[in-house]
Amino acid sequence: MRRARIMNQSFIRPLLCGAVLAVWTANANAQISGDASDGEDVFTANCGECHSVREGKDKRGPSLYGMYGAKAAQRPGFKYSDALLTSGLVWDAETLARYLTDPRGAVPGSKMKFDGLADAQERADVIAYMATLGLP
Amino acid sequence: MSHTRFSLWRPWQRTLAGFAVGAALAIGVSPVQALPSFARQTGMECASCHVGGFGPQLTPAGTLFKMGGYTDSDGKDGKIPLSAMVIGSYTHTREDQDPEPGLKANNNLKMNEAALFFAGRVTDSIGGFAELNYDGIEHKTAVDRVDFRYARALRLDGRDATFGISVNNTPSSSDPFNTLPASIFPYTDSPAAVGTGESATLINGGLEHRVLGAVAYANYGGLYGELGSYGSLSPSLQSKIGQGRDYQRLSMGSNAYWRLAWMQDLKTQAFHVGVFGWSADVQPDRTVASPKDRYHDVGVDAGYQLLGNREHMLTLNGSYVREHRTDIEGAKSSLRETRLNASYYYQQTWGASIGRFATTGSDPAAATRGQMLQLDWTPWGKENANPPAFLSLANLRLGLQYWNYNEFGGLSSGAKDHNTTYLFSWLSF
Repeated sequence: MRRARIMNQSFIRPLLCGAVLAVWTANANAQISGDASDGEDVFTANCGECHSVREGKDKRGPSLYGMYGAKAAQRPGFKYSDALLTSGLVWDAETLARYLTDPRGAVPGSKMKFDGLADAQERADVIAYMATLGLP
Repeated sequence: MSHTRFSLWRPWQRTLAGFAVGAALAIGVSPVQALPSFARQTGMECASCHVGGFGPQLTPAGTLFKMGGYTDSDGKDGKIPLSAMVIGSYTHTREDQDPEPGLKANNNLKMNEAALFFAGRVTDSIGGFAELNYDGIEHKTAVDRVDFRYARALRLDGRDATFGISVNNTPSSSDPFNTLPASIFPYTDSPAAVGTGESATLINGGLEHRVLGAVAYANYGGLYGELGSYGSLSPSLQSKIGQGRDYQRLSMGSNAYWRLAWMQDLKTQAFHVGVFGWSADVQPDRTVASPKDRYHDVGVDAGYQLLGNREHMLTLNGSYVREHRTDIEGAKSSLRETRLNASYYYQQTWGASIGRFATTGSDPAAATRGQMLQLDWTPWGKENANPPAFLSLANLRLGLQYWNYNEFGGLSSGAKDHNTTYLFSWLSF
């Protein structure tokens, strides 16, 4: 009974919401707190054949230089799928994690022929690496 | 015959050569990467699709590119689908050999061959390559390998699937792995030495370039299959394309090439295992009505690639082919070929490969066994390894092979007289 009363007190709910938000943020941060060095290896093995990290160099996939934080499908001159063009995505830790888990599930109609990275740590690492691309 | 070939040269080879020169000039001012036409088409480096940064051993990405009908691209237009290559070499054998025309008994410094390729996508679903080859030993020009494909990629039940048809002139060349006879290591050998011996199965180049066939193929979730049939070109057409006149006849529909494999690409490693075969009835001389030689070639093969982060790469490839032949008089014979190869590449640049080859059969004189070692250096073909500006479209492999024979032509005695040191330079652009 005493616990129920405490839960009903008006200042508790904001605190709980804050705690939930903090946990969610921590999870989100955890997704980008991977090791960029390990992420480079993950990138090379899984992405590097089709994507360059050099500015302006497209392969079967577009250059990923400077893509972190940018809107999806914005590299000039590269022919993206309509699905990605209209996705409205901005590549941050959350959207990248979702996309890299299941590219064709996250953006149905995406041209990218990749089944996704099942390992959460590998996703975190490669996202950490991507976040370094294009940094001065 | 040579007159026919010379006449043929005049109208279209000159045009092609002129086109090649024009194309080369056009390419020469292009800022695109220093790579042959498939690399230009895709924007990918040679090392993306080839182990060691140089063809033809395919990585999983290269396997998928081939299955996809050579059609993947970086989405940009205006790529010229032409490439060329030149192979030069020096060959020393332990003892002098009986020289073929155009060769000395020993210590041959030669331009093995020069080739011009059409290689590229035609539409979103059609692509391929055709090779026009100049033989630097015999000084002949001929159409070499041809492979044009129609391919479609689908998503079925949550898995990738590819269906296609390959029209090619070399049985087993449609296969996307480097374990079948048409594409197994070594990828170059000396024209002035004895190679893997004088006996070979029909599927191991027996009718290559003299036939044309259609092979339907499919890949579904790593299960890969092919089924096709080949027919001989007419002697007249063979002559026109520089292959001379061979009067053997293989009728389309009277033979079946097939292949089944299971493959997995785990990104840091990949493997496949499979079986294959070719059953063919070959009329020895089409000008004489006669029974046919019957060939039944069946093989097993497997390959493993440790890819990691591409700093250290290890590959293991092997195949075993058994051929049963019944000739027109009903006599039966058999032949067996075993190939086992391993290679290691450091930074996709420095390579060391070893191989074991063995051909044996019911005829003791067919037996040839030995080992070979190859060391090679491929300085370019990687994203951060470009050639000098004046070679801005080229890739290069310099290599050294050593062949050791335990048995040759059924004889152990004297086999080592054929031991060969082969230095080669392989330039493509």
